[in-house]
Amino acid sequence: MSTIAPVSLKRRSFIYRLLAAEGAQFGEINGGAVPLHFGAGREVELAAARRLALADLSVLPHVGFKGKGTVEWLTAQGLTIGPDSNKAYRQAGGELAARLAPTEIFLIDSLAGTGALIGRLGSAWKWAESAPRPAQGYPTPRQDSHAWFMVAGEFAPEMFAKICGVDLRRDRFAEGAIAQTSMAKMSAIVIRADRQGRDGRVNAAYHVLADIASAEYLWSCLMDAAAEFDGRPVGLLALQDLEQ
Amino acid sequence: MSDINRLPAPFGRLIDRSSRVTFDFEGRRIEGFKGDTIASALCANDQWMISRSFKYHRPRGVLTMAGQDANTLVQLPQEPNCLADKYPAEDGLKVKAQNYFGSFDSDMARVVELAHRFLPVGFYYKTFHEKKKSWKFWEPIVRAMTGLGAIDPKADFHHSYYDKKYLFADVAVIGGGPAGLAAARAAAESGAEVVLIDENAALGGSLGYARFDADGKRAPTLLNDLVAAAEGNARISVMTGAICSGFFTDNWLPVIKGNRFYKLRAKSVVVATGSIEQPAVFRNNDLPGVMMASAAQRLIHLYGVRPGRRAVILAANDDAYGAALDLLDAGVEVAAIADLRAAGSLSPLAARVKSRGVAVRVGHGVSEATYASKTHISGAVLAPVAGEGRFAAGGMSVACDLILMSVGFSPAGQLLHHAGAKFGYCPQSHMFHPTELPAGTHAAGSVNNAYDLDAVLTDGRRAGLLAARDAGLGVGEVPPAPAEKGNVGRTHPWPIFPHPRGFDFVDFDEDLKYHDLINGIADGYDNVELLKRYSTVGMGPSQGRHSAVTSVRIVSRETGADIGRMNVTTQRPPYTPEKFGHLAGRVFDPERRTAMHHRHLELGAQMMPAGIWWRPGYYGARQERDAAIVREVKAVRENVGLIDVSTLGGLDVRGPDAAEFLNRMYTFSYTKQPVGRSRYVLMTDNAGVVTDDGVACRFNDEHFYVTATTSGVDSVYRQMLFWNAQWRLDVDVANVTAAYAGVNIAGPKSRQVLQKLCTDTDLSPAGFPYMGVRMATVAGIPARLMRVGFVGELGYEIHVPASYGEALWDALMEAGKAEGIRPFGVEAQRVLRLEKGHIIVSQDTDGLTNVWEADMPWALAKTKPFFVGGRSTEIMAKAKLARKLVGFTLKSAGDPCPEECHLVLKGEEIVGRVTSAVRSPSLGKVVGLAYVAGGDAEPGREFDIKIGGGKRITGVVTKYPFYDPDNKRQEM
Repeated sequence: MSTIAPVSLKRRSFIYRLLAAEGAQFGEINGGAVPLHFGAGREVELAAARRLALADLSVLPHVGFKGKGTVEWLTAQGLTIGPDSNKAYRQAGGELAARLAPTEIFLIDSLAGTGALIGRLGSAWKWAESAPRPAQGYPTPRQDSHAWFMVAGEFAPEMFAKICGVDLRRDRFAEGAIAQTSMAKMSAIVIRADRQGRDGRVNAAYHVLADIASAEYLWSCLMDAAAEFDGRPVGLLALQDLEQ
Repeated sequence: MSDINRLPAPFGRLIDRSSRVTFDFEGRRIEGFKGDTIASALCANDQWMISRSFKYHRPRGVLTMAGQDANTLVQLPQEPNCLADKYPAEDGLKVKAQNYFGSFDSDMARVVELAHRFLPVGFYYKTFHEKKKSWKFWEPIVRAMTGLGAIDPKADFHHSYYDKKYLFADVAVIGGGPAGLAAARAAAESGAEVVLIDENAALGGSLGYARFDADGKRAPTLLNDLVAAAEGNARISVMTGAICSGFFTDNWLPVIKGNRFYKLRAKSVVVATGSIEQPAVFRNNDLPGVMMASAAQRLIHLYGVRPGRRAVILAANDDAYGAALDLLDAGVEVAAIADLRAAGSLSPLAARVKSRGVAVRVGHGVSEATYASKTHISGAVLAPVAGEGRFAAGGMSVACDLILMSVGFSPAGQLLHHAGAKFGYCPQSHMFHPTELPAGTHAAGSVNNAYDLDAVLTDGRRAGLLAARDAGLGVGEVPPAPAEKGNVGRTHPWPIFPHPRGFDFVDFDEDLKYHDLINGIADGYDNVELLKRYSTVGMGPSQGRHSAVTSVRIVSRETGADIGRMNVTTQRPPYTPEKFGHLAGRVFDPERRTAMHHRHLELGAQMMPAGIWWRPGYYGARQERDAAIVREVKAVRENVGLIDVSTLGGLDVRGPDAAEFLNRMYTFSYTKQPVGRSRYVLMTDNAGVVTDDGVACRFNDEHFYVTATTSGVDSVYRQMLFWNAQWRLDVDVANVTAAYAGVNIAGPKSRQVLQKLCTDTDLSPAGFPYMGVRMATVAGIPARLMRVGFVGELGYEIHVPASYGEALWDALMEAGKAEGIRPFGVEAQRVLRLEKGHIIVSQDTDGLTNVWEADMPWALAKTKPFFVGGRSTEIMAKAKLARKLVGFTLKSAGDPCPEECHLVLKGEEIVGRVTSAVRSPSLGKVVGLAYVAGGDAEPGREFDIKIGGGKRITGVVTKYPFYDPDNKRQEM
């Protein structure tokens, strides 16, 4: 994947300037520029991802569905969604269907960012031609309402404790658990989604989804909170390496 | 001579003798070791006077060595009121004493002491209650003399980084002494996750300094075992140097450590905060050289400092004899022990003391500390006790430089008080103790009236197991509370010996003497809570730690009240002073930025807040504000302008009942609104008050995209959810404000520019008329297009997914280059909309404005049966209008433009206010909106406006829109 300037693409992360200032090298995914690495070397970023690292995944595909009939329609489309709210359900392609409420799903792509499932759902959902229309929920523009960060590394829970009142420690906040909470005084959705390497090593990781308009603010708060633990930004490649 | 009082190892368990620190105290170079506090280093260097007292400027030195008193408050360059007996000695510190004028050693304000008879208790009450004019005389004196410490705002003041952190635990144990250590261990062994908090530098509490047996061997052994067990247990997180400063509902515990404020939430709590040694009252009991026995033991064992050379011990318990043995071991001569008890002590400790040749005077007390220099005691007068608080004649003087007080304890029960625990007085032990604890809260150790070391350990284990059980863990059998607690004989019921010549202090912080309290009670303040406020006893920095119990005893005796039915004064959080930095922490101040935020900055915008959003006010230098706004207005009127409207609220309302839903939420009618058209929305609340407005864009039968004001959208969204929870219409509402970036391209050339980027939609007047809406593609970006006329020109709002916002802005600015497109900000938009007479809800309306007052009956659907606020609106239609919003111009063109909220007067009566006014660049005159009296709203009527400086000008009611009244331009 060749590096690219974020402004050469129409879809832009709200924090691309902050990332560029940190030395990010970008690649194109989903019509936008996602940071691949920060030039520190693959091993350095992988080590950071195991200790404490932040990554911006905002341009990767993510979408929402809500309203009456949502889960039934998504299930009919082949998704696996369990009965519990505040739990994320992993799909066959690595996507996560985060059930925020009985009739609300926040769907985030795998770190490959192909958007295959989300694209297929986007094509499948249509306004019915005439009434009575089936109860199939409604898509919500989560791609553009929410910035998407990943916080990875063993110190992530301790860092979160500086900005979030929910106990996110790994023995208290299970894999797939969701917290719809306040982080640095703004609303945020936290999903625990560890990255397991081929050697069986489980690396702590959390998705953070929050108001896109406050993305710069929240990123700055996270970086500030992470500094104590030598946290640093990493690119998508380091996160993918966690699964090697 | 440095370190003259330093003892050899193994004394001084907290100091690192391999690491020297040097600091300055009042110009004197002080050498200490790493691990010393400022006070311990000063004492090691024979500097016993550390500060001056608050009122009489008496010399003061170490009292507790535990941070429990105000005697050691010192001034650092960056921070006043530091507790020298807690603050670490650090290289390069510049330490000064507090409360002195001139020189520390010869404080000129010491003269106040001579005038003590003229400073009676309740001085403020007596002086200012009815003689208010005397404040003028006293104010400069009071201001000069009072206050603790100083902050120099001109100094090189450094901001420090403070932050906060949440902590979680099954069991929180507060206090790392023997009880806390036993509790933590028991809870952890039951499977609980434990946080163990101790305010001292090391765990151990009294095990680190007190003597429990004649050989002095048990405590060190036990200390090592318990601490090793705690630190080696993975389930126990140890926090030393951390103060739990309060105990709030649901076990919310604030813990301060360094510059961090922890917010700990535990399932259950063990309070093992120990007890506070209490002073005796005798003449000059406040001077340097008089200290608690435990303070001397802390100096010896924790810091390796000899507390004096020749000591007298005032005893009322066996602990005094342990202290005597420690003094002897440290090379201090014990001149005498004056034991207040008639029978003295039969303990092994006393036997060992006697075997070492110390004179014990049973049934004696200290009636007075004497001094040769003005800064340290030089002797004690011992006298036989004749009765409660009385000495018989025949005292004897003993030369000494140290008097230890070992007369009793009081539970450090502040946190339990915060939690809502009840306390009672135990007539056997003569101490208050917790009698009733809230659920999930446990007390252990001496705070729970257990003093015998074995009883303390048992009590700690019991509390730890109970706390683990409260946290949901299985703990098996819990041992009962120890039957024998060793609390009787620890505390003397009346260690108070007033002296005929006074200076027998009850409260060291406030310089309150025995007779000050007696006089306060005589003045009628015969309840401890009243006496506290009148005399200020217990109101100083140490918050009654050493004066509260004595006050209760005195009030009880003077009033005849049964001490068994009394209690100490209310103890409220915080337990210790909290810095503003701790409370503020790292400031989290969320803000929202649009996708184009940085483009605005690059274009020189002056940003302004709109709620938590940032919006461009205008583009250009601040000093050219007015010219910049006029430039932008002209660009829109004559050419083409571009404004970022991303902050505008956006709500997707979807479902079979979407139109019916809007019909109920807004004043207009929407069931027959054509697809592809927008319609004005006006929201009222149940009382008929106008609360928001916007437009509803119908993209299909079941999909409306409804806009709302920037500041109102969250409330509108909540209202929609609230109402539909009751109506249960088949509709889904989504707040998509942040998901869409929006711009308004406006001006006669806007179509020309947009056409370059939007080729899939017919933009002609007929193909896309005014108030039309379209799904289109602009610059390759999927967009929602709306023909709107807020600024009164041909214009299009373009809403695109937020991630594309910056690219859209870039494309439009590039496409409009040939037409001279100019960005415009909120200020220009306000001018433009006012020229068109469009109101802004919450600026031109307020919390009472109804549809009739706002002159908007045109926004009411005439035939529909219901909307929120409809009934109120109907009722108000029949009422006489008290005020009405009108357009106005000024009668005299030369008058200044009024400002928002300038008053509208009818005679001298206020009848309304100006809500918006501007000198219109397009019209060359002032235009505005104002509330006038309901009967004065006809065009042509004149009214008074009171502008700045009280001047009155005349406004003339004028029909609006002021600009393009036929709306031809926006419908081009």
